[in-house]
Amino acid sequence: METIYETVVRTIGWASFSIGLICVPGVAIAYLLSRKEFAGKHVLSALTTLPLVLPPTAVGYLLLKVFADYGLLGPDTLGFDLRVLLTWKAVVVACSVMAFPIFVRTAKLAFDEVDPRLEDMGRTLGMSGWRVFYSVTLPLAARGLVAAMLLGFARSMGEFGATVIIAGNIPGKTQTLASAIFTAQQRGDDASATTLLWVALLVGFGIVYATERLSLRRVNTGGGRA
Amino acid sequence: MNNSPPVFDIDLRIPLQEFELELQYSGSPKSLGVFGVSGSGKTTFLECLAGLRKFYSGRIAFEGEPWLESTKEIRVRPMYRNIGYVPQDYLLFPKSDVRSNLEAGKKRLLENGLNFGEVFENVTNTLELGALLDRKVELLSGGERQRVALGRALCSGPRLLLLDEPLASLDAKLRRRILSYLLKVRDAFRMPMVVVSHSPLELQTLCDEVLVVSEGKLIAQGPPNEVFAAGGVFELAKEGGFENVFTGKVREHLGRTDIVCISDQNESVCIRVPATGSEIGRKVICSIASDDPILSLQEPTGLSARNYLRGNVDSIFDSGSRILSRVSVLEGGPEMIVELTQDAVADLNLAVGSDVYVIFKTNSVRVLV
Repeated sequence: METIYETVVRTIGWASFSIGLICVPGVAIAYLLSRKEFAGKHVLSALTTLPLVLPPTAVGYLLLKVFADYGLLGPDTLGFDLRVLLTWKAVVVACSVMAFPIFVRTAKLAFDEVDPRLEDMGRTLGMSGWRVFYSVTLPLAARGLVAAMLLGFARSMGEFGATVIIAGNIPGKTQTLASAIFTAQQRGDDASATTLLWVALLVGFGIVYATERLSLRRVNTGGGRA
Repeated sequence: MNNSPPVFDIDLRIPLQEFELELQYSGSPKSLGVFGVSGSGKTTFLECLAGLRKFYSGRIAFEGEPWLESTKEIRVRPMYRNIGYVPQDYLLFPKSDVRSNLEAGKKRLLENGLNFGEVFENVTNTLELGALLDRKVELLSGGERQRVALGRALCSGPRLLLLDEPLASLDAKLRRRILSYLLKVRDAFRMPMVVVSHSPLELQTLCDEVLVVSEGKLIAQGPPNEVFAAGGVFELAKEGGFENVFTGKVREHLGRTDIVCISDQNESVCIRVPATGSEIGRKVICSIASDDPILSLQEPTGLSARNYLRGNVDSIFDSGSRILSRVSVLEGGPEMIVELTQDAVADLNLAVGSDVYVIFKTNSVRVLV
């Protein structure tokens, strides 16, 4: 029988993995949406936001189609089996997809807050586009990007709908904190459900509090004396 | 014959909100000023020189090197223009210290084959930044920020320095200090400068040639003292605080006042000015408003005003709402623009060539640097 501790640790690991997975593409898309004008920008923006507004079960069902035998990433299409469905990989995929919109939106806000004229200054000092990005933009957006990671992590920790559809709710294998609460409640195990609820509350509160603090510091470091 | 290309060869068209700025200029001044009222497109022009604007067309060549050639689709990116740009709001990189800001352009300086250590030392000494190096930029005062922004530009090994309203956001006391730093930079680093300002006084002090832009057009160009006194420009310049600017050397301290010699040819051509705070023999830059001096046909006696200089009327002209007289102080003294009324010109029978005395009070003189 899996302990609550194991479920929590496993969920934290999957959520961390998901954030690691979406970090690079998330930052790239957030930067593009914040700084560049291109054809299809609004379509890209809408697509990245979609999982935020769709029912999680709909997203789960869509992912199920994608990884099914005849799906876009299914064995019949790729020629080999990724072995995603009903495994820990499915949990990570579901968490990544569901955390992606909140990560991109928060990261875009972080880039929006960096004065583009500071990037121009970097260019006049001989910096290449890439160097401007990592030595001017990225450090100035860092707090916002950390906030994006934290919020994405929190979203992953709480993910349920999409996960149960493609990963199931298999104790010791694909059961997450959210699905463990559901299972405990369903079988009338109030003690476990309450303990898991407290863990979820503490993690959630800690992350939202940290994000608030980061936002506050971002505002406070904007000024200076005349 | 000198066949080298001009430092600046510019033929630009820049669409602005209300009009299109058209500017043609070719010349090789050490320091080029651009004067115009707010909204005349000065900053936009500077951003085009820096390559930071998207929508502009025409031609820009710097020392013969094409930076923009719309017809040939040449548009050199800012990072390859080798410029040092100091915007009006400094734009220092926040959350880092002064040293990091000064080192931001180190890579380019090294690529240009310069010794960073030497340049860094020269810049920090000239701008007196040594004590600020480890300080966070958020903790700097306005004047310190200006010096750091200037230092950051210089530490990137630029070939051209672009200054946008370098003194606009400073109070009078700081303005005087920063002006002296700008003069030091101009003289020590010997690179062409473009200074954009709505203050004639700054451009008169810093530049040897000025372009005046108004409503999208270049309406005058030439040496600052001539340009600002020209018809159609004087009214704009006067609103911006035009004064007669001249250099001199401190000859004597007299307590609350100093004697400053204002002629290279004759050391007796001196004026009394408020205490400069400078050592004997030190160069100072002074100014006097054009409506402060009075002209007399006879040598004045019994006046409380301490300064009267012999001069010759070079020209008398109507600037639009004022009669102006350009007077050359004799024996190598400076030229001065003096505002007169129509009846004063008639009563004194003033004409080109008239011998006059230019009279003004000690406290009418401002010591700029």
